[in-house]
Amino acid sequence: MTDKKPDPRRPDETFEPFEETRRIPWPVYSIAIALAIWGVIMLVQTSTAVEVADKTQKEVAKEDSTKLAQAAAPDLDAGKTLFADNCATCHGDAGEGVAGAFPPLHGSDVVKLGGAKAVTHIVMRGIGGKLNVNGDGYEGQMPAFGSVLSDTEISEIASYVATGLNDDAKTISAPEVADIRKVAGDKDPFDGGAGLAGLINDLPAQPNSEAADQGADSERVARLVGQGTDTVWACASCHGDKGEGIETVPRLAGLPAPYLAKQLHDFQRGTRFNDSMAYVAKGLSDREIGELANYYASMSSPSGAKPALQGDLKRGAQLAKQGDWSIGVPACFTCHGPSGVGVAPNFPGIAAQQPSYVAHQLAMWAGGSRHNSPLGLMAGIGKALNDSDRRAVADYLASLAPMPAMDKTELAAMESNIPVREGVDQ
Amino acid sequence: MNRYLPLAITALAILALATLFLVIAPGMQISAQGPSQGLKPYTEAEARGRAVYVSMGCLYCHSQQPRSLAQAPDAERGWGRASVAGDYAYDDPHQLGTMRTGPDLMDIGDRLPSQAWQLTHLYQPRAIASWSIMPAYPYLFEHKDKAGPDDVVVKLPAQYAPKSGVIVAKQDALDLVTYLQGMKRQYAPPKDGLRDNGYALIAEKQRDATDATTASN
Repeated sequence: MTDKKPDPRRPDETFEPFEETRRIPWPVYSIAIALAIWGVIMLVQTSTAVEVADKTQKEVAKEDSTKLAQAAAPDLDAGKTLFADNCATCHGDAGEGVAGAFPPLHGSDVVKLGGAKAVTHIVMRGIGGKLNVNGDGYEGQMPAFGSVLSDTEISEIASYVATGLNDDAKTISAPEVADIRKVAGDKDPFDGGAGLAGLINDLPAQPNSEAADQGADSERVARLVGQGTDTVWACASCHGDKGEGIETVPRLAGLPAPYLAKQLHDFQRGTRFNDSMAYVAKGLSDREIGELANYYASMSSPSGAKPALQGDLKRGAQLAKQGDWSIGVPACFTCHGPSGVGVAPNFPGIAAQQPSYVAHQLAMWAGGSRHNSPLGLMAGIGKALNDSDRRAVADYLASLAPMPAMDKTELAAMESNIPVREGVDQ
Repeated sequence: MNRYLPLAITALAILALATLFLVIAPGMQISAQGPSQGLKPYTEAEARGRAVYVSMGCLYCHSQQPRSLAQAPDAERGWGRASVAGDYAYDDPHQLGTMRTGPDLMDIGDRLPSQAWQLTHLYQPRAIASWSIMPAYPYLFEHKDKAGPDDVVVKLPAQYAPKSGVIVAKQDALDLVTYLQGMKRQYAPPKDGLRDNGYALIAEKQRDATDATTASN
């Protein structure tokens, strides 16, 4: 270094006048120390934040399991609350029912004769067929709650219905419910009163069961659903073997046939957008669309959905049951039926629908990329809901019990209403 | 420029500190995490499919890391819950990706479980969506006059179907689809699952505050 002669045209590159005389000033030290302390504090704070955020979901699951462990007598107050949340929309707050539509539970001969055990069976499996209660006839369309309520919750509801709404003395415990679930948990809904007669002795006369009539078309439809055609994929390969859907793929089981057919025609015409479904619908004939709509409408399957979007379930319940007039949103259930089971032919069931699908569709109504609802009803609602409302209502609907399949006779009556391709947009 | 020693020591110390907090500490944190409960190791076919995924460079356009709701509306898009470290336990190297030219694929097996859909889409994405910019992968398929007993025939619309014969999937295509079908992360994340939850907590507090003001109005 030293033997190089300095070049007069360039200053010395290594010249640093302060280096030897000055120390690092103390503010630099203090800033460095402060930064280090701040870093450590942030590290501790963030890790607690992660724990707290994880807690909510997990804690709920844990509480459920501890509850289950206590095999003590069912909590009737909890049963009353659960009844109000799950049953009262149809059966009334005091179980008085609605004449001609929903059977009473207070003073009902079915509950009297069958007790908490029969109620457990019915809550778990649901009912899909005509039945008589106290001598009056009812359509019998009860969702199956087995897939959405825990054993403890069912035991509380059944015990409340038997002892709180009626004067039965016998309650049912969670382990007993668990035993019933093992035997009957995955069975189809009761085929109306005729099905209940097998469960409850001495039940008064019940309407005859309408044996499921599998038409001659069923084999062709089954192939369409299970294997697809040369050009079209199998329906079940995305929508699931039981039509229960997944993520953004919607649940189809139990939706009204005219609604399903209209959606397929809309995909075909391009009035509802989804590339995959447009592809499928264009490969289907009108006849196949009608058959598929009936196939899924008459399908009963357990719920495949559960809350997944961290939505506020209380807010979701409020929107679904009461609506929110401050933002001009009516209750979902005013059109989509009590507990969101759907009102044929135009209003699909929304109970047990996949939360990602619901939230996504609401966002599409809001953005205008879906616009095929009757009278543009859903567009206004979609626009009024903000992101967290959409997640709240989607998660709440996912927590509900699925709707039962449509009655065969009802289906047959509706078939004439299924719109054809060139038909008027409903 | 005379104090080489203190300068060198300081530089090394800074590097060591950075390595400690950015490499060693997270490494210890992550290595303590086992695979998430519910996550299965790859089957042989899935592992082969994963190799195809890597060799095709799917990573350049598709990420495998759904974000938490505070960061992006991935859950609402149907891309699944935010991933945690344990979800990648069997991935070496992981395929996190940084670009989202296409959608996130962490949950594709849940979202699009159909083998037939995937095959059609790999053969010609434009057969399904005319606007798709994803490349077609015809070399993962062969054109045969007649499908053999074990061949998987690709379902194609007339526009893209061959004039005669059928398109069948090669082993690579089948493996890749098996891998994609196995991409399922819908099980509940472990309680101590490591992930960046972003501003979830702050967002929650803000929401509570807004709720309180709305209620008091």
